[in-house]
Amino acid sequence: MPTYKISVNGASHSVDAVPDMPLLWVLRDLLDLTGSKFGCGIGACGACTVMIDGEEAQSCQIPVSELGSKKVTTIEGLSKDGTHPVQKAWIEGDVPQCGYCQAGQIMAAAALLKKKPNPTDADIDEVFDHHICRCGTYQRIRDAIKVAAGGSK
Amino acid sequence: MSDRREFSRRTFLKVVGVVGAGLAVGAFTEVACGAEPNKTAAKAFVPTALVRVDPDGSVVITIAQPDMGQGVRTSLAMLIADEMDADWSKVKVVQAETNPALYGRQGVGGSSSIRGSQQKLRQMGASVRAMLIAAAAKQWGVDPSVCRTEKGKVINTATGKTLDYGSLTAQASDETLPTGKIALKDAADLKIITKGATRVDNPDVATGKAAYGMDVKVPGMVYAVIARPPAFSSSLKSVDDAAARKVPGVVDVQKVSRGVAVFATNTWAALSGRDALKIEWTDPADPGLNSASIQKKLAGAVIEHLPMPAGSKVVEYSVDFPYLAHATMEPMNCLADVQEDSCNLWLGTQSPDRVQAEVAGDLKLSPDKVKVNVMLVGGGFGRRLQTDYVHEAVELSKAIKKPVKLVWSREDDMKNDFYRPACHSAVKAAVDSNGNPVGWSVQILESGGGDSDTFGNPDIPYDIPGAKRRYSGVDCGIPTGPWRSVEHTFTVPTSECLIDEMAHAAGKDAVEFRKAILKDDRLKNVLEVAADKGDWGKPMPAGHGRGIACFEGYGSYAAHVVELSVEGNKINVHRIVAVIDCGLAVNPKGVEAQMQGAATDALSTCLRAAITIDKGGVVQNSWTDYRWMTLDAMPKLEVHIVTGTGNIGGMGEPGYPSAPAAIANAVFSATGKRVRRFPIKVEELA
Repeated sequence: MPTYKISVNGASHSVDAVPDMPLLWVLRDLLDLTGSKFGCGIGACGACTVMIDGEEAQSCQIPVSELGSKKVTTIEGLSKDGTHPVQKAWIEGDVPQCGYCQAGQIMAAAALLKKKPNPTDADIDEVFDHHICRCGTYQRIRDAIKVAAGGSK
Repeated sequence: MSDRREFSRRTFLKVVGVVGAGLAVGAFTEVACGAEPNKTAAKAFVPTALVRVDPDGSVVITIAQPDMGQGVRTSLAMLIADEMDADWSKVKVVQAETNPALYGRQGVGGSSSIRGSQQKLRQMGASVRAMLIAAAAKQWGVDPSVCRTEKGKVINTATGKTLDYGSLTAQASDETLPTGKIALKDAADLKIITKGATRVDNPDVATGKAAYGMDVKVPGMVYAVIARPPAFSSSLKSVDDAAARKVPGVVDVQKVSRGVAVFATNTWAALSGRDALKIEWTDPADPGLNSASIQKKLAGAVIEHLPMPAGSKVVEYSVDFPYLAHATMEPMNCLADVQEDSCNLWLGTQSPDRVQAEVAGDLKLSPDKVKVNVMLVGGGFGRRLQTDYVHEAVELSKAIKKPVKLVWSREDDMKNDFYRPACHSAVKAAVDSNGNPVGWSVQILESGGGDSDTFGNPDIPYDIPGAKRRYSGVDCGIPTGPWRSVEHTFTVPTSECLIDEMAHAAGKDAVEFRKAILKDDRLKNVLEVAADKGDWGKPMPAGHGRGIACFEGYGSYAAHVVELSVEGNKINVHRIVAVIDCGLAVNPKGVEAQMQGAATDALSTCLRAAITIDKGGVVQNSWTDYRWMTLDAMPKLEVHIVTGTGNIGGMGEPGYPSAPAAIANAVFSATGKRVRRFPIKVEELA
C-alpha cells in the first residue's frame, strides 16, 4: 500500500492508503479527524466539506493520491479555539440543530467569505445550492454568514 | 459545556445506591443527600440523579433523553436551572447513561419530552433551590424566609450578604428535601425559561468536537458494511467473495441475516470490498410490486361513502401521498462490542431503553449488562425509534468477536428505511344552499396498517354534522414507521384541503368558513394570527395565490399561510407564515427552529422528494434522486409564536401537518386547479 505525505491543518502526516481512498476517510478513519462528516459519499450533500488551498472542496470526492502538496483545512483547523468569525456567528446565531451537517456548512461559508468578504444573497445561493441540512437551518445559515461578514442579518 | 463523560461512575453509584432511601422529587429522582452524606467526597452537592452542584459553582445537569436536534439537552436543562435560580452561564450538560430504572422513559418521540417532564423538572429545580436556601440560612442563623436567590447565589435580604451556590455544597448536602409541593415561579419571574437560550452543543458542533455515533472509535474495532437485497422480499441466493477478500484492508466476509457483511480496517475498504462481492439474490416474492400497483391496491380498498344530504352541493375526489424516507443527515450506524457476559453500544438512537432491552434479549443478558452510550444524534424524525441497525451491529460483533462499527451508506439508508406510509385518501363532503357544511365522509387508506375499518371519529377540529372518517391499513409489503407527525402527514393535508374545497363550493372565504365551525378557541386564535400576519385577503401580484390551513395536535396549535406563483411547470413559493401556540414556549429559539424545520420538510415533500417502489424495492438512491430543499430554494419563512397561557404542547411534530395543505391550497388559489397527488406536479393538477 502506498504512503502519502499530506498537509492537514498545518501539519504534515504520512498515511498508508490505497490511491483511490477519498480524503474524507483518510481524515476520519486514519487521522481521527471526525469533524468532517459522511453524508452521502457522492458529493451531493456537502457534509464532508473542507478547504483545499483555501477553496471549498468535498472531501468524499478527492482521492488521497490527487492531493499532492495541497493544503487541507478541516473544521478542526479552521481556528485554534473556535473563534473564526464564521464559528462565532454559528454559535451565537444558534444555527445548528442536530449539527451533523454544520461542519460542512461552516467550511463552505468560511471559503466563501475568503473569496467574497461581503457576499450577496445570490453569492450565498450559488455556494449553498449543494449543501443539505435535513433539519432546515437554512435561514439561520444565511443570517450567520451575513453576521460573519461583518454586517447585521 | 458538554462533557458527556463527566457524570462519573462514582457519582452515579452514589445516586443509585440510595434509591428508595431518599425523598423522591419526581418519578426518576432519588435524593441522595441527607440519606448518606459523603463527607470524604469532593463535596459536590448531588441532590438528585439529574443535578450536581460543584464547589466551583458549576451546575451539572444530566439529560436523560437523546438530543437529535430537537434541543432537549438545552430546553430540559433550562427547566431545572430556572427554578434553581442557577447562573445559566455556569450550567454544564451531560448525557445520562441508559438506565430506565433510574431515569424512567428515556426515549424521544411523539413530541413528548417537554410535555412529559416539565412539571417534574421544574419541581426538582425548585426543591434543590430550597435546600440551598436552607443551608445558607443556617450559616447565617436566619429564617429561610429572609433569603432569596438570584443567578447562582443566595442573598440575605436583611443584610445584603450573599453566598454562592458553590460555597454551599457541603452544607446543602446535609439538608433534606422540604416535604410537600414547592411553589413554582410565576411566569413574570422566569429568568431562563421563555428567554431563548442558544444550544449547549453549539461550541462543540462549530469546532468539530461534537461526537455522533459515526465518530466513535474503540481499540480493536473493525468497520463493517452489509450488502442487503434490492427487494424487501428477496434474500441471499449465493455469494462469491473471492475478489472482495483481496481488497486491501478487508479482514473478513460473512453471511449474515440480512445479506453479506464485509469487515475491514477502515470504512473505505469495507465499502470497496462490498462493491467487489458477486451476489445473487432470490427473486422478489412479487416482482410486480411497484408504486402504481400499491396505489391501485389502496384505491381498491375504498368502500361506499356515507350518504350526503339530499339537495346539498357535493365535492368528491381522491388524493394520493407517496412513501417518504426519513433520510437523516447521519446515516444509520452503530458500534457494538459484544463480550461473553456484557455488551457495549455506542450509537445515535431515539430509543435507548428499547435498545438496551432488545439487545439484552438478543444476547440473553440482563439489561444492566448492556451499556448503551447515547451519542449526539444526527437526525431522527422517527427513524431512530427503530432498532434494526442495532441488531445488525450486535450480530456482526458476535460473529467476528470484535468491536464492530457498522456503517450504512446513504444508499443503504435510502433503501432500507421504515417509510412514511403511502396513502390514498378518498373524500366526499357537502355544503347546503346556505354554504354550511352538512356532510363529511373521509376514507384514509394507508399502506402501513391502521386501527379501524369502519367509519368513526372524524378526527377534525371542526363541528360538522354527521362527519365521519374511516382509517384503514392495507399491507403492501413495504416497511413503514413513524415519520415526523406520523399519520397527520396525510390525514391533515387531506382534511385541510377538503375544507378549502368546501369553502370554495360554498362561495365563502376559507378563513371565515373555518372560523364558523372551529371548536377550539386556541386554534381559532392561531388561524386568525396567521391570516393577519400572512396578509390574508390583501392584494397580491398577478399570478400569485395564497393558501391557509391549521392543525391541532400533540398539545399544540399551528397554522400556515403560503404565498406562491406558478410559472410554466414550476411552483415558486414566495413566502410562508407559520404560527404556533405551544403554551409556554420553554425555549423560543427552539420553537422557532422546529417550525422552520417542519416548513422545510413540507416544501421538500410537496415540491421535490418522494420514495417510489419498483420490483419490490426502493428506486431512490441518494440526495440526487430524493431531492431535499436547499438554501437557495428557500422562500421567505416567518415564524410567529403566540404566547399562550394554556397547557404546554409538544414541538417536534406540530409544525408539519398544516404546511403541505397550505401549499396545496395556495396552488389552487394561483391556478384554479387542485392537487390530487403529492409531491405536487403542475402538469398533474386537476
